[in-house]
Amino acid sequence: MRRVRSISNWLRSLFRRSTVDQELRAELSFHIERQIEENLAAGMTEREARRAARREFGGVEQVKEECRDTRRVSFLDALLEDLRYGARMLRKNPGFTAMAVLTLALGIGANTAIFSMVNALLLHPYDFHGLDSLVRIWETRGMEEGYDARWAAPADAADFLSGTDVFESLTTYRDQSFNLAARGSVESVLGSSVSASFFDVLGKGPALGRGFAHNEEQPGFERVVILGHGLWQRRFGGDPGLLGRTIQLSGRSYTVVGIMPEKFSYPVPSELWVPLALTSAEKEDRTQLTTMALARLKPGVTPAKANAALASYSLRLAQEYPKTNRGRSATALPLQKELYLYTLPLFLLLQVAAVFVLLLASANLLNLMFTRMIGRQKEIAMRATLGAGPRRLAQLFISETLLLSLLAGIAAVSVSFWSVRLLRTSISVEWTKWVPGWDGIQVNTAVMATTILLAVALGFMFGLATVLYTGKVNLSKTLKESGAGSLMPGRRRLRSSLVVAQVVFALVLLVSAGLAIEGFVRLAAVYEGFEPGSVLKAELSLPESSYSDATKITAFYQQLLHSAAALPGVKQAALSTNLPASNVDNEMTLFTIEGRPPAKPNETPSADLLTASPDYFPALRIPLMAGRLFSDSDSGSVDRVAVISRSTADRFWPGEEAIGKRIKLGAPDSNDPWLKIVGIVGDIRQNWWNPSARPAIYRAFSQSPRDAMTMVLRVDRNPASYAAPLRDAVRQMDAGLALAGINTLETEVVDSIGIIRILGILMAVFGLVAWLLSSVGVYGVLSESVAQRTRELGIRLALGADPRDLMKLVLGQALKLTGIGLAIAVPISFVVGRVMASIIFGVVSADLTVLVGFTLLLIAVALVAGYFPARRALRIDPMIALRYE
Amino acid sequence: MTKPTDLVQGTLDLLILKTIALEPMHGWAIAQRIRRVSNNVLQVNQGALYPALHRLEQQAWIQSKWGASENNRRAKYYSLTKAGQKYLQAEESNWERLSSAIGLVLKAV
Repeated sequence: MRRVRSISNWLRSLFRRSTVDQELRAELSFHIERQIEENLAAGMTEREARRAARREFGGVEQVKEECRDTRRVSFLDALLEDLRYGARMLRKNPGFTAMAVLTLALGIGANTAIFSMVNALLLHPYDFHGLDSLVRIWETRGMEEGYDARWAAPADAADFLSGTDVFESLTTYRDQSFNLAARGSVESVLGSSVSASFFDVLGKGPALGRGFAHNEEQPGFERVVILGHGLWQRRFGGDPGLLGRTIQLSGRSYTVVGIMPEKFSYPVPSELWVPLALTSAEKEDRTQLTTMALARLKPGVTPAKANAALASYSLRLAQEYPKTNRGRSATALPLQKELYLYTLPLFLLLQVAAVFVLLLASANLLNLMFTRMIGRQKEIAMRATLGAGPRRLAQLFISETLLLSLLAGIAAVSVSFWSVRLLRTSISVEWTKWVPGWDGIQVNTAVMATTILLAVALGFMFGLATVLYTGKVNLSKTLKESGAGSLMPGRRRLRSSLVVAQVVFALVLLVSAGLAIEGFVRLAAVYEGFEPGSVLKAELSLPESSYSDATKITAFYQQLLHSAAALPGVKQAALSTNLPASNVDNEMTLFTIEGRPPAKPNETPSADLLTASPDYFPALRIPLMAGRLFSDSDSGSVDRVAVISRSTADRFWPGEEAIGKRIKLGAPDSNDPWLKIVGIVGDIRQNWWNPSARPAIYRAFSQSPRDAMTMVLRVDRNPASYAAPLRDAVRQMDAGLALAGINTLETEVVDSIGIIRILGILMAVFGLVAWLLSSVGVYGVLSESVAQRTRELGIRLALGADPRDLMKLVLGQALKLTGIGLAIAVPISFVVGRVMASIIFGVVSADLTVLVGFTLLLIAVALVAGYFPARRALRIDPMIALRYE
Repeated sequence: MTKPTDLVQGTLDLLILKTIALEPMHGWAIAQRIRRVSNNVLQVNQGALYPALHRLEQQAWIQSKWGASENNRRAKYYSLTKAGQKYLQAEESNWERLSSAIGLVLKAV
């Protein structure tokens, strides 16, 4: 009962504010009137009676405010009132407001943009149900495998599910490319062949139609296909009648049984899925790692536990099948983390840089607000006199800063809609389609909520800082003072330390930005060993249906090379299994050197394995160091040859002639034929994440043809114009084939480090913002402190001081603050540089030019910031300066 | 009685509750009555009285009603709520215990 009454009282004071206020006024004036009557009755004159009553009552406004305080619906009511007041104050100072909102919006916006990337790419790359419990599983064969080499033997994968008790389900799949013929044109489409359990394990089924049945995993029953939403829209106009009809894939008919929901693409960038139909022999196979595996952990099983189970089970497999499984181990990695092993540090770096920008902006804004507080001392004193307690004043400041930071948050979110789209679209889709979650980079609810929360937190922080800074106001002193009011020494020290902090943040950011940009430039030049200019590349995959054996494949490609080389302006036409800068690792292989069996199985040499046609090396201008390149006479199964890279020769035949030696792929007991080394070519760094060129072995295309090859054309000029003639050449030979990924090699190289370019640009923007903010901050504080000393400087001038000495004094102060900041920042920048070097290839930590350059820049800023206010102060007539208040 | 401490505030609350327990009263009358009854020892400052009244009302120990005063003006009359009566009894016995305890200590020394 009592509580109900209490609440109704609250509600009344909240919503009937004017009534309640009126009543309060009536109540108090009644009291005074009654006292006056009493005084009159006691024999005072009318005037005396009034004065006495008023005197006895004391401050009416104070009593009112205290009564209001007891009635206030604590925070909410006061907040509304203060927000209204805060808005008025902000409107009254549009300059300050704009500056503060802009500064803070920059800081918050940087974080919003980066967080939207982190949120999409690292936190939500896939929208699968129970993403945490999905792991990728792969086997390693005791050699350094590339990032992409995450494969498992089919029989081993099946055993992992049945032989351990950590996985709820497990599915296997393979990438596969298809030539899709529909509506009169052929297109190369990337897809996957997947086990029937694939969609169940992911927890995502088709939006239309059905998934795969278990009997469709049998060879002969696998002619069914599920289409991706994008492909269905693009090639079939989103026709729902497509279900149950057949389409042509690589020369075979497949019945469409399902359409996946929008945005589903796993493994990226798959656009269609067919059943993975393995023969029983393939299912039993343990010799080759030919499938990818994905599993769902049982509830409560951690990845660590799964890895422990896989490790012990791999040992059992090795004992049971020593011939195939000896030295083999298996790894499980959460799907969410899998793709980001080497981009995660980049995003963390960006996020840290964004936080630094925010810190810098905050330091700047605090300084700005403190400056403003000096001007408001009188107002604050007046409020305190009129009965505003310290808590009430604190609420007032906090509401003001809260309003500021909310405005900044809103500005940041509005701009980020545009900036985040710019970020998302600035990298070629050919690259981003391989990045799960890339399309999810957007300002969504999570990003907005985070931004607003951040803004609110900052608002509170700034408000509290202002309260602490203002401290206890000495009422009478402040009110009596005529001047702008000066600050206590402690306060000035606080502001100076803010300047120092700004210098620190600025230098660290500038150096990081410098190193990142330099790293980007370095990475852009990382692809040494070949010349990408005037080269066109295209990928082609021959379907097994019409190109079932090596002879047919060789014949087709030889003829294609022939007709491509005949195009006017083409210097070389060649084939390779993988091009540099493709962002795909080379296939890796173990190999055995004739007459030099390894002492232990895990010491078997390994190298990248490529297959190339004779003109591949001249087409990319890869130099021949010794021996010869492949020739057209290297054909057939006798006299098999290999070309090796220089680092292969240096590493395995140091100080020895490698040419003429024989190697074979695989372990010493493998049945592969011996290959004679006939030539040594220059090294190529395959991808930007490879710190250096890895040993490589090239086989002749004519001796080991592959169905999927990348074609390169070196031409006189304008390589892009050769795309159409090349397409025609392919179509004339086989109308069912389509080239994919047609691009100039130069564009490929630029696109391949797109993410590093974005990093470089963002860091450059952050660095620029840091420089601007810190310059403004240092200038602001120095010019204000000079302004406060105008009077002192005037006296000194009047007493005959040399203006040059005074100038030195002011500049000395500027340099001192900057110097302290630099003394702190230089070692930090050094450490940051080292950390960056350890996570980004190509960044050199001890780059003194960057460090020294930016240090000098900041000193210059300090000198300029000190010089202009000082000059202004010294030019003033001493008489005016003395009167200056 | 400028800034009431907790003890003083609690005491003032008790005095107010006791004073209006007899009949509804307005603020001025409450102050007068406390002064008169205490033989001019307890002078209640308005700066403390009205916030205390509003706080007690907010806490629903007392309730208010506008009515005609002895000089025929509109005045705000405060009276105890049911909860306030109980609260007063509890506080009164608390006070008795406390003051007799203090008295004992003072006499003993």
